[in-house]
Amino acid sequence: MTTRTLPATPTTHGAANPRFGVVIGGALHDQQRSLVAWSAAVAAVTTLYSSFYPTMSTTQFELMLDSLPDFARAMGFEAMVSAAGYVGMTVYSLLGALLTLICAITAGARLIAGDEEAGVLELDLGAPVTRTRVFVERLVVVWVTVLVLVTVISATLLILTGAFDLDLSVANVIAASTGLAVFTGTMGTLAFAVGAATGRRAYGIGAGAAVAVTGYLFNYLSPLIDAPWMETVSPFSWYIAERPLTNGFDWGGIALLAVLAAAAAAGGWWRFRRRDLMV
Amino acid sequence: MFAIRTDGLVKDYGRVRALDGLDLSVEPGEVFGFLGPNGAGKSTTIRLILDLLRPTAGTIEVLGQSPTAGGTELRARIGYLPGELGLPTRKTAGEYLYYLSRLRGGRGQSRIPELADRFGLELHRPLRALSKGNKQKVTIVQAFMHDPDLLVLDEPTSSLDPLLQMEFRALVDEARGRGATVFLSSHVLAEVEEIAGRVAIVRAGKIVDVDDVRALRERAGQNVLLRFAGPVDAAEFAHLPGVTDVVVDDHTLTCRLHGEPAPLLAAAARHHVMRWQADDRDLEDLFMDFYREPGDAVPTSEHDDVLPGPATDGGAVR
Repeated sequence: MTTRTLPATPTTHGAANPRFGVVIGGALHDQQRSLVAWSAAVAAVTTLYSSFYPTMSTTQFELMLDSLPDFARAMGFEAMVSAAGYVGMTVYSLLGALLTLICAITAGARLIAGDEEAGVLELDLGAPVTRTRVFVERLVVVWVTVLVLVTVISATLLILTGAFDLDLSVANVIAASTGLAVFTGTMGTLAFAVGAATGRRAYGIGAGAAVAVTGYLFNYLSPLIDAPWMETVSPFSWYIAERPLTNGFDWGGIALLAVLAAAAAAGGWWRFRRRDLMV
Repeated sequence: MFAIRTDGLVKDYGRVRALDGLDLSVEPGEVFGFLGPNGAGKSTTIRLILDLLRPTAGTIEVLGQSPTAGGTELRARIGYLPGELGLPTRKTAGEYLYYLSRLRGGRGQSRIPELADRFGLELHRPLRALSKGNKQKVTIVQAFMHDPDLLVLDEPTSSLDPLLQMEFRALVDEARGRGATVFLSSHVLAEVEEIAGRVAIVRAGKIVDVDDVRALRERAGQNVLLRFAGPVDAAEFAHLPGVTDVVVDDHTLTCRLHGEPAPLLAAAARHHVMRWQADDRDLEDLFMDFYREPGDAVPTSEHDDVLPGPATDGGAVR
C-alpha cells in the first residue's frame, strides 16, 4: 500500500478556478479528427466546382441560360456567366455552404445537448466551473469549427484562382467567406442555444436546420411569387442576396445575422443557467 | 454545521415526484451510506448536492451552503463519482483525467499517476476501449485526486472486482483519516456495509430509516438451525421470546432469532442437540424488508422471510 502523509485538517481550496480555454481545449480535442474530415470534404467540393468552371465557355453558358425556365433565373443561374457568379452559386450558395452548415449545426447541437444526453457533460458540470463558462467556451468551439471550414474554403479558392485563372478578387472572397462564416456560425449558434436550453440534441438540430432551410427557400421563392418580405426575414438572404463574391461586404446582412446569433445565444444561456441538467 | 443537510427536500420531474420530503443529516467526517433501489431518488439527491438540479421545494445545504449559492467554490471541495456516466470517446484515460484536473485549476494532477497505479488503470488507453470496470477506475481516480472535503459517490464499486473493492475501501479510509466526509450511495448493501458508519434507507423519495450499520445488522437478527437426535414439536419453540418463523422438519428446526439466545438455548437443551448453526442475516434481507410493503411504515423485523417481488415504485432491488 502506498504511504503518504495526510493533512490533519481538511484542505483549503482557494483558487480552484480553471483558466479560460480549458473547456475549449477539451471540446476541440474531442472533435479534431472529424474537423479534419470536414475540412477535406469542403476543400474537395470547392476544388471540384472551381476546376469545372473554365471548361464551360461563356457561349455554352449563354445557350444554356436561354433554355432555362423562370425558376432557374430566379435562383440566379444567370449570374453564373462570371467566375464570381459561378463560384458564388456553387460553393457559397450550394455545396460549400451546405457542408459547412451541416457541420456547424451538428456541432452546435452536440456541444451541450449531445454531450449532456450522452452523459459526458456530467463531470464537467460537477467541476468548479460555472455554467456560464461551460456555455461560453463551448459556443466558442462552434465558431472555431465554422472558421476552420470557411478558412479552408477561402484558401482553396485563392489557390485555385491562380491555377485556373478564375478571376476572383481576394477582397470579395474574404467578404463572401465572412458572410458564410457568420451565416453558418449563426445557424450553429441557434442549434447550440436551443440544445442548451432544452438539453435535447434533436431540438437543436431541428431548430438550426428549420431556420436554415426556410431561409433558403424564402430567398429563392421571394422573387418568384413576388413576396419581398420573404427575403427580408430570410437569414440566408441576409448572407447571400447582395452577392458578396461580386459586390463585396454586405455589412447590413452581416449585422442582422450577428443580432440573430446574439439573441439566440442570450436566450440559450439564460435558460441553461436555470434549468435542471442531466435529466 | 452538517456536511449535508436536507429539510423537506422535494424534487419533481414534470408530474413525477422523485423526492418527496427528504430529510437527511450527514455529519462532517462520517462515512454515510445512502441505500435504496433504483428509482428511489438516490441520484436525484446527489445531483441536487452538485447543483445539477434545483429543488422544487425544501432546502438543501452542503458544507454549510446551498449548492446554488456555493457555486464553484463549493464544487471545488467536492469529489463526485456519478452512477451513470458517459465518457468522451476521443480521449485516452490519461488525457481525460488531466483535462478534469485542469478544470479544477490543476488540482489533483500530481496524484493521477499514483492513483492510476493503485487501481491498475492504463492511462494511455482510449476511453472508448475500456471495460466497465476500467471506466469505473477512471471515475474513482477523478473523484479522489484533489483530496476533496466531501466525496459524493454514486454506486462506486459496482463494476470492480473484490481486490479493487478492497483498494477502494482503503482509499475511503484514507479520505476519512484526513477528515473528509463520504456520502456513499448504492442499491446493494454489501457495497456500503463494510465502510459506512451510518446508513439511511431511501424509498420512493423519502428516508424510511437511519441507523448504524451495526444496529441494522442486530435488528436483522440471526437464522438459527438446530438438529436434534430425535423428532421435536414446533409448538415447544414457537412462543419463546425473540424467536419467530419456527419450522420443524422431522429432526431439524429452523427459526429466526432476535436478541438474546438464552430462552432458545434453554428450550433446545431439553433435547439432545446434534448440531447448532446461527448465521447473521444478511443486511440484504433486512433491506428487502423495507421494500416489501407498499406502505411507508418501517416494518418490524418479525416479518416472514418470503422474498419480495420488485419494489413497488418499479425499481429493481438488485
